[in-house]
Amino acid sequence: MKSRSSISIVFMMSVSLIALTSCDEPKVDASIFKTLDQCKKDPLVSSDECVSNFKEARNQHAAVAPKYASKADCQADFGEAKCEQAPYRTSSGGSVFMPMMMGYMMGSMMGGRRSMMSQPLYQSAQSPNSFRTADNRNVGSTTGRTRVANSATNRPSFKSRTRARGGFGSSGGRFGSAAT
Amino acid sequence: MQRIPIIERSNLKEAAANHGFEYAPGKGVSGWNERAYYQFSLDQIEGEIEAPAQEIEGMCFQVVGRAINNESVLDRLCIPEIFWDYIANSWNNREKNLLGRMDFSYKAGDAAKLLEYNADTPTTLYESAIFQWEWLEEVLKQGVISNNSDQLNDIHESIVEAFSNLKIETLTHFACNQNIEDDKGTLDYIKECAQEAGIESCSLGIEDIGLNDQGRLTDVDDQIITTLVKLYPWEWIMDEAFGQYVPSCGVRFIEPPWKAILSNKGLLPLLWGMFEGHPNLLPAFFEDDPAAIDFMNDGNYVGKPMLSRQGANIEIIQGGKTLCHSEGPYADNARIIQGFHPLPKFEGNHPLVGCWMVASKAVGLSIREDNTLITGKDAQVIPHVILD
Repeated sequence: MKSRSSISIVFMMSVSLIALTSCDEPKVDASIFKTLDQCKKDPLVSSDECVSNFKEARNQHAAVAPKYASKADCQADFGEAKCEQAPYRTSSGGSVFMPMMMGYMMGSMMGGRRSMMSQPLYQSAQSPNSFRTADNRNVGSTTGRTRVANSATNRPSFKSRTRARGGFGSSGGRFGSAAT
Repeated sequence: MQRIPIIERSNLKEAAANHGFEYAPGKGVSGWNERAYYQFSLDQIEGEIEAPAQEIEGMCFQVVGRAINNESVLDRLCIPEIFWDYIANSWNNREKNLLGRMDFSYKAGDAAKLLEYNADTPTTLYESAIFQWEWLEEVLKQGVISNNSDQLNDIHESIVEAFSNLKIETLTHFACNQNIEDDKGTLDYIKECAQEAGIESCSLGIEDIGLNDQGRLTDVDDQIITTLVKLYPWEWIMDEAFGQYVPSCGVRFIEPPWKAILSNKGLLPLLWGMFEGHPNLLPAFFEDDPAAIDFMNDGNYVGKPMLSRQGANIEIIQGGKTLCHSEGPYADNARIIQGFHPLPKFEGNHPLVGCWMVASKAVGLSIREDNTLITGKDAQVIPHVILD
């Protein structure tokens, strides 16, 4: 776990989240593709669906991908040559890095969550065969039709740089318990 | 209403350990006392506590509805102007609330009198919802109380249901001052209820909340916070450095901002102003109101800071003399003056009857006892039963 002072600690999720994903959660149908071409070759998905879902994932990528203030930190989590510059700047004007989009996940047309949004997927240096959502949910290494934890299909959160912390808590320090 | 001595469970030490409570031989569980219980009749519970609490909740809504359109009221409640529209919008948008506890001075046969409404950060929740219920189940099993005994205690189920009704679909954050064991324990329990309702959750320290370039609040992983269940008072949030960003930070807060009106003891004079003479209300006035001066001249009243907690800085005047007062960090707060209606006394103990409101429904009871007329932080929760 990186220290809290680093600009962005993004791929390491809080303990409670890790615990949640390890539980026996209901699974839902989804489709995972490495590329748009791979999707187009799948007879179960129409070409139009491939394109619209790919675009949807691609458009989210910059906003939801984990962000790092240093390229080395990003590469440590995602691997050599697997990081790119994000279209953001740190508050002091420095560069921001994020992993490259390595695939995308969409709802399966066959009984999956039709309302499910498509989303970009990433691969960590530690387990380069598995896909992960931008919120670090492992969705396995299977491409094409697969089943994933229901919570992994949630819309990924926007990651942005925190410029200050500690703006709450001072009264608690002064008065003690909030109990009534 | 009777106070009935009973033998403490022989397995109390284990029970305490199971629930993460501190236990000391001879002293028992800190904040809890099961060497006695209070017994009520069903009529007392339903007619004299539950029904009035429910009625007062409705009156409180009328107070909020009026206060949000009245700048002088919001000003009097010491709510900073930048939050006026924010609070009004939260009310007008019908943002749902979760928890509160009304504290009454109650003696069987007399109308229960509302002493205050802990509408924002009530604690002793776990003791009330879980530990008290488990006590009842065990003493019933042991056959030491009548097997017709019941409790007003749907707190747990009601919180889980309320979370379901909140229709939260995103990751929900839970924040408090984690250095305070009581606060953290209470919030952890609320989080368990949320998880039972299928809500994805994540805890963090209130001081670890961040602010990003867009003025959104973030967690320690820089994820944007969209729903925040807080055990941290609204008046502190509004007063602190990030407070100014709150109205535009896009976070759904639980409790919602309008609870800042109800958790303020200024609620009591507002209620009295609108419903003067209501049998469950005590006369109450803002201290700077000329009516307060007339009332105080009578020599029997209680002075309370508008924003204070755990019985701190309370002053009870009887016959023109100080009968009782408590120290605390809220001495420089504006005060309200309330009629003095002493808590009843049972073997040297003064019970304060708390009625739990979950999503604005009266669903549970918890009694706290102290050996003074001011219920402070050393008060102990005593279980109750309903038996006719």
